[in-house]
Amino acid sequence: MARVGVFVCFCGANIADFVDVKAVIEEAKTIKEVKYAIDYKYMCSDPGQQMIRDAIVQYRLTSIVVAACSPRMHEKTFRKALSDAGMNPYLLEVANIREHSSWVHQKDKKAATEKAGDLVRMAVAKSIANEQLHEISVPVTKRALVIGGGIAGIQAALDIADARIPVTLVERSPSIGGRMAQLDETFPTLDCSQCILTPKMVDVASHPYIELIPYSEVIELDGYVGNYKAKIRKKASYVNFKTCTGCGTCWQKCPVKVPNEFNCGIDNRKAIYTPFPQAVPNKPVIDAEHCTMLLKGKCGICAKFCEKGSIDFKMQDEVIEREIGAVVVATGYDLWDARPYEEYGVGRYKDIINSLEFERMVSANGPTGGVPVRPSDGKVPKTVVFIKCIGSRDEAKGIEYCSKICCMYTAKHAVLLHHKVHDSRAYIFYMDIRAAGKGYEEFVKRAQVETGAIYLRGRVSKIYQKGEKLMVRGEDAQLGQEVEVEADLVVLATAIIPYKSNPALARLLGISYDKYGYLSEAHPKLRPVETAKAGIFLAGCTQAPKDIPETVAQASACAAKVCGLFAGDTLKKDPMISTVNREFCSGCQNCVKVCPYQAIVTEDIPLGHGAKEMRTVAKINEGVCQGCGSCVAICRSMAISLAGFTDPQIINEIVAI
Amino acid sequence: MKKVTYFPGCSAHGTSEEFDQTVKMVMKTLDVEMEEIPDWNCCGATSAHTMNESLAYALPLRNLVLAERLHNDTMTIPCASCYQRMKVTKAHMDEDPALAGRINSTIVGEGSYEGKVAVKSMLQYCYEDVGLDAIKAKVTSPISGMKLACYYGCLLTRPKAITQFDSPEYPMSMDHIVEALGAKATAFDFKTECCGASFSISDTDVVLQLSGKILEMAKESGAHAIVVACPLCQSNLDMRQPDIEKKYKIKYNLPVFYLTQLMAMAFGYPKDKMMFAKHIIPVDSALAHIGEVTEEPKPAKSKKAVKAESEAE
Repeated sequence: MARVGVFVCFCGANIADFVDVKAVIEEAKTIKEVKYAIDYKYMCSDPGQQMIRDAIVQYRLTSIVVAACSPRMHEKTFRKALSDAGMNPYLLEVANIREHSSWVHQKDKKAATEKAGDLVRMAVAKSIANEQLHEISVPVTKRALVIGGGIAGIQAALDIADARIPVTLVERSPSIGGRMAQLDETFPTLDCSQCILTPKMVDVASHPYIELIPYSEVIELDGYVGNYKAKIRKKASYVNFKTCTGCGTCWQKCPVKVPNEFNCGIDNRKAIYTPFPQAVPNKPVIDAEHCTMLLKGKCGICAKFCEKGSIDFKMQDEVIEREIGAVVVATGYDLWDARPYEEYGVGRYKDIINSLEFERMVSANGPTGGVPVRPSDGKVPKTVVFIKCIGSRDEAKGIEYCSKICCMYTAKHAVLLHHKVHDSRAYIFYMDIRAAGKGYEEFVKRAQVETGAIYLRGRVSKIYQKGEKLMVRGEDAQLGQEVEVEADLVVLATAIIPYKSNPALARLLGISYDKYGYLSEAHPKLRPVETAKAGIFLAGCTQAPKDIPETVAQASACAAKVCGLFAGDTLKKDPMISTVNREFCSGCQNCVKVCPYQAIVTEDIPLGHGAKEMRTVAKINEGVCQGCGSCVAICRSMAISLAGFTDPQIINEIVAI
Repeated sequence: MKKVTYFPGCSAHGTSEEFDQTVKMVMKTLDVEMEEIPDWNCCGATSAHTMNESLAYALPLRNLVLAERLHNDTMTIPCASCYQRMKVTKAHMDEDPALAGRINSTIVGEGSYEGKVAVKSMLQYCYEDVGLDAIKAKVTSPISGMKLACYYGCLLTRPKAITQFDSPEYPMSMDHIVEALGAKATAFDFKTECCGASFSISDTDVVLQLSGKILEMAKESGAHAIVVACPLCQSNLDMRQPDIEKKYKIKYNLPVFYLTQLMAMAFGYPKDKMMFAKHIIPVDSALAHIGEVTEEPKPAKSKKAVKAESEAE
């Protein structure tokens, strides 16, 4: 005879305000198998768990029902409580009366209570048919794949590799470094971005545990946590990196000019190029979209001048495979295109630039030698207007969220402008100054006091050209006045957005993304670096806008997670997987077709005991099966059963309502 | 031949008669038959919608209902303000049938509103329904040589969600039309700034200030004249120009044309049909530029571009 214990959680007010918990308890008590039923404010807390542990022993319970939040939230917690009391953890059933009842039926307490009662009765009925299950051990491949070679990917790769775990770092551009390599100095300390980043880039290249694969992209990921298989396409660089010395003759001689992406198109690079002088690896690649030889079959000047004979125009893209156990995604961010701000004349006036363009100009290795200039006439600007929140916090034209870093880098730009052009003046239009962070508020004060930057709280309504000047008309909301500033240069702090390719990457990896294209973490507070898919982690702006310190912290957290995952020789896996009853299997192989994980193979077994004739039956690979249940549904002869969701369990649930 | 319903509005029969007359000439040339709504009434303009919401809807709604009886699929309106009231009413009625029913019940005996007729400004109709190619095809005496600042005002393209036409901040449709007539549209930043509108009567100084700014920027853009498609814009920029010049002690001498006046000229109508005598600022100085050959100087390479190139060498 089953003896079921029912534990109903208040979840503070989350459940108790909308579901009559006492009524649910009373209803549970009417079920004859229920030998114990009790409520508590927070069942997941230690006293709550202790109540479960004590009741198991005291009332000799054979299965447990916890009516609380979604099993995605605390199923693990309660299973552990069962284990601690000496009970098989899979004798637990969670009735989700929060997400499935109290939260969605807040306006009707009576109906919510009735539904909660139904959910509890179903869970009780199911738990009676629960069987003891045991975790499965699967081997783990101790190699991590890091996608993206910006500061997030670099930090994650270095931290993992320092723990002597091999890392494959894949970067889509010819060099690692990412956005941070484009920056001049960093807030709030004004230390030089290149000086702190380039040593790390060199460390990546020389680390014995890091395999750096630049100019390539991940195109496929199969498998499951601990046992992924990645396909990586190495784009043809048309340069043999083994023999190339990076001398630079090729790009000096190349006659084709292409806007330089690294410098935001302010100057030109060649068709054969390294993105910047400190590039890692410091070997050039040929841009196939612009190379005359590759497009028209004429030129080949670079090959003529290369002393090492490293140029190979016949090189093809190559696909390589790596077996890995975990993935860190760090694909970074892009900038929002400000052209919808037509009232500012974005796209019509050359002297309106975005912050990254300004950053390249004031950068010592930038296209203007560290001095900001007006793109229209090359003159050094004396009055520069910075406008924050371009696209950010703008539901009408842009996106709703705050891009987080613009307040700080704009303060930094005011300081840098003052350093580079002493007799200049910065005007900063802002909505709010968001300077939460160590030393951040002090830095903004410094920008205001030291440089005399004039902060004007208000939006700019219009920019128009008058002679050589750009007239910036806006509001000073604190004085309640309209202001007009005669500017030489206008710098727009455009919003941060995820890369366009993020949704495609997310689908390829089998993880989720939000409406903006940011990759989604498993839990916004408690699992901020994990994705919902085991073994895939997120670092940096691919998850949300963040600054360098935060990005580095998240990357290191990813590394800690990967190291934790790889700490043992095997991984524990839920036993909720399918099994085939060979007696019933007709060998139709429909299950093989529907399995999304390629977890089902076939095998030949004797037709009968001692018979020579063979017949084909399905066989499940325990390590690969994720317990989705597709095969169970398709099986015509009802030969497949999913542990934890067997027919008797499901039928019990249905009968209970 | 196309047919379109015509709502002239009160200005067309008064201060902007030249707009009305030239619209009719232009449409005839473009093979569009205009059918004026019989017994149309005031659109309510600014007064109604600042005083009483129901009245602000009811007045245009009656016109919309009357327009439906003519069985043309589009109604075109020269006045920007009438257009705005009609368009807003249509948009709100179409998205809220309950509101439409309520307002409809107040205009007893006129029939029920079905939302069948599209509302377009004269500018939008010329640009979308007639099209640049058809306009270009009818040009017999191009007005080349003229540099024109196209001024749209605040209502022709705004709010974007309701007008669904051109850009709310930097529209180009009128610019494209005057270029189709052979003229040159200048890069004019104040094309959607406020002219002061009906403050012309209650607080004239506001108009002198705002319209003065528009004239200044039009002059700065190198224009010989301003082109408008709104009676109130025309009256503020033209009629108030001498006062503005007096107040700021500056001479603009910028004639203010209706778009259709220039279209009619380019279509070959004689000058005396345009009613230029109604203009306060004489138009002859601007018209004198017709036929002038203007050569654009090639933009010199900027220093930075030169520097970047030499660096890349």
